[in-house]
Amino acid sequence: MTPIVELRNATKEYRGVPAVKDVSFTLERGEVHALLGENGAGKSTLTKMVAGVVQPSAGEIWIDGARVELGSPSEALGRGIAMVYQETSLVPSLTVAQNIYLTDAKHFHRLRGIYIACQQFLQSLNFPVDPTALVSALGAGQKQMVEIARAVHHNAQVIIFDEPTATLTPEEKHQFFSLVERLKLRGVSIIFISHALEEALAIADRITVMRDGQHVVTDVTAAFDREKIVRAMVGRSLSSELYGSHMDRRARKAGAKVLSVQNLSMGNVVRNTSFSVFGGQITGVFGLIGSGRTEAAKVVAGVLKRDFFHGGQVQLNGRPVRYRVPRPAVRDGIIYVTEDRKIEGFFETMSIAENIHIAALAGGQTQARAISMREMRAIANEWIATLNVKAINADARVIELSGGNQQKVVVAKALVQKPKLVIFDEPTRGVDVGAIAEIHQLINKLADEGIAVMVISSYLPEILQLSDRILVCRQGRIVEEFEGHKADEETIMYAAVH
Amino acid sequence: MIGSVTRALDSLLGRGEAAVTVPPFDGALRPNRLLDEAAGRVPLEGVDCLAVHGGELVASAAGGVFVRGKRGTWALRKSYGAAVSCLAPAGEGALAVALANGEVLIEGGAFDGRRYRVGGSVTCITAMVVSGGQLFVANGSATNAADQWQRDLLERNASGSIWRLALDSGKAERVADALAWPSGLAIDRAEGRESLVVSEAWRHRLVRLDAARPGSRTVLHGDLPGYPGRISPAGDHYWLAVFAPRSQLVEFVLREPAYRKRMMAEVPPPYWVSPKLRAGRSFYESLQGGGVKHLGMLKPWAPVMSAGLCVRLDAGFQPRASLHSRADGATHGVTSVIEHGGEVLAAARGDGVVASLPASALGEDA
Repeated sequence: MTPIVELRNATKEYRGVPAVKDVSFTLERGEVHALLGENGAGKSTLTKMVAGVVQPSAGEIWIDGARVELGSPSEALGRGIAMVYQETSLVPSLTVAQNIYLTDAKHFHRLRGIYIACQQFLQSLNFPVDPTALVSALGAGQKQMVEIARAVHHNAQVIIFDEPTATLTPEEKHQFFSLVERLKLRGVSIIFISHALEEALAIADRITVMRDGQHVVTDVTAAFDREKIVRAMVGRSLSSELYGSHMDRRARKAGAKVLSVQNLSMGNVVRNTSFSVFGGQITGVFGLIGSGRTEAAKVVAGVLKRDFFHGGQVQLNGRPVRYRVPRPAVRDGIIYVTEDRKIEGFFETMSIAENIHIAALAGGQTQARAISMREMRAIANEWIATLNVKAINADARVIELSGGNQQKVVVAKALVQKPKLVIFDEPTRGVDVGAIAEIHQLINKLADEGIAVMVISSYLPEILQLSDRILVCRQGRIVEEFEGHKADEETIMYAAVH
Repeated sequence: MIGSVTRALDSLLGRGEAAVTVPPFDGALRPNRLLDEAAGRVPLEGVDCLAVHGGELVASAAGGVFVRGKRGTWALRKSYGAAVSCLAPAGEGALAVALANGEVLIEGGAFDGRRYRVGGSVTCITAMVVSGGQLFVANGSATNAADQWQRDLLERNASGSIWRLALDSGKAERVADALAWPSGLAIDRAEGRESLVVSEAWRHRLVRLDAARPGSRTVLHGDLPGYPGRISPAGDHYWLAVFAPRSQLVEFVLREPAYRKRMMAEVPPPYWVSPKLRAGRSFYESLQGGGVKHLGMLKPWAPVMSAGLCVRLDAGFQPRASLHSRADGATHGVTSVIEHGGEVLAAARGDGVVASLPASALGEDA
């Protein structure tokens, strides 16, 4: 039988860097196909090619036995392919029914009519969502349901779910799985991306594992168990060549306890989590996307707020602190180096010198009311030399720099504030190999100087290479702790997904 | 006025003093199973305190002092007619034995056979340490006996005191008071100055008392995840016994005075919501952590009211490594730990066993 979707030797490159490399993939009619892999394995890029969100740099897409070129998501939807994103793509200011009927060919709808039709439709899917409710008022689980309902409403023959259960409660997950069963009975084919291996093992007919943008293995679900999947997900040789063996190095001894997080809660993302960070050590935090590691760090740094009632406690050097905004945290020496540098890391149209100087002002490192351009450039030049930032001069705009050098500017902004605790969130995401080594050296140097360093990463070799101790985060909690030089990839991944 | 409004708000919002939080067992306190996997495990019902006397290992249990024989078994050395509340080496060849009635006896050495009474109100001796002919005595509580420690915690008392007893004259003087169940003592001679280090159980901390100025207290290590007990020196480091872990449930109950009062009045002590030396023996006990059992299995990571924990402290009294018995272990309620002859010995009163393992088992410091 002809597969409903087929990718032949598909490759997708971003600025010469392959996100997906020479991958062939088939989706049979009426099957549930789980796509597994670490963060950055290329799963989302692969499915985005199928959904018409991105176009392959090389290779072919075949749908129903015919070669096609999908220029946009609406073109893919026209061919019966819909994608349900992890971050929902609904319009928050419209009602549930309006969102579901938004892209219908009919230009004018009677509101009452679509509410009645939508009510019946949602009931047929067993989704307890009010069609007249504004999407902005819905919880994450209900938004997910509306997204799914929209895909079903468009008579999609192929539905791609990207981490559909990450935000669902156990009851909602149960409902979701029965929906998948019903869709399957209707002949709908499903691509299911998830980090929860047990879910993939429970509902998928076939499983494909990807790693470093390449296809690793595809087989029927019965041929897999958790251990086999984990081994396929992490068994890379490339990374060990790049990062060397973490077993060879000696872990630093812990200094004084700088940060103590106790029973911290923030919605259902951070759930009663506790951990400590010690001076003179690098504490690595590993967890899959949605595990709550970034959110916990952001609460510590005052970027997000913990629960108002019984949200737990954060202690800095034994003193309880609670930051509602980042400024007092910065003044107290807590620096959070963001994972999303383009949005939160710098002012892209300003120069390196201006960016660094703003950080110095925020950290209270300079009291000058009138800014001396000469002093500003002198400080920037010092950091440019220290961090080996490749730029024409301190007046170069940050937007003109490469990803690695932009990240170095973000790091310079952090260090100019003379921190006591630095939290690096995905410090080498989108950074070239040469700059990765330099950033790693810098992080090590900070710990050697006695500063408490926390590194959050979803890239296991990086965590293993840098960390003196490793905390594993799952479902909003720290669930395991390992000594950095004794841990291995499989054990950590096992803790992260079980 | 503002203070009481703040307290009421804190109580409502669960913040400040009313934050029901417990620090995690991580870093040097990362859980392991070393106590349960110890090669040497010799039962001694009611074992409480360990000490070395004349090169021999002695232990207090019930109303007597026991000595460890060559085969590792315990034999009764002497009975005292009253419960022994603690032991401590008291100088050259001497052993100080504190009884539950408040008396301190000296066995061997220059003051052999002498009996002392520290003070009329001192009847809860939890720890002792000797320094230059003076015996420092910790009195856990002014109102409760040593075996009523749970009541003392639930009453939120801070009536403990430290006394200095001159062994030659028998004169005793109080050097510190208003302590929340002082349960361990050690002499610190760092930087050429002698000071007294006290483990203050209900405040979960180790504090230094300056011998010259007893009023000044320095917190050496605060916010421990358990209730610290006796401290014993071992070369360049110390061992600390942590007799029970803290839990959010107990912390919550400690912030509810009406509930505590009624519980103590109406519920038998074994079933109180409080830390225990051994928990889980009766189904009448309150659920611990709400998720101890999952699919009929006792989860080793579940927070409970009892566990086994010995902490190795460095010369600055900072945790460096630890020995654990977890929720499903059998070495709970460690009330004393010492290092002797290349072995670490832990008296687990909760399970009535003395566990021993080579000092090298811990490897390097965490």
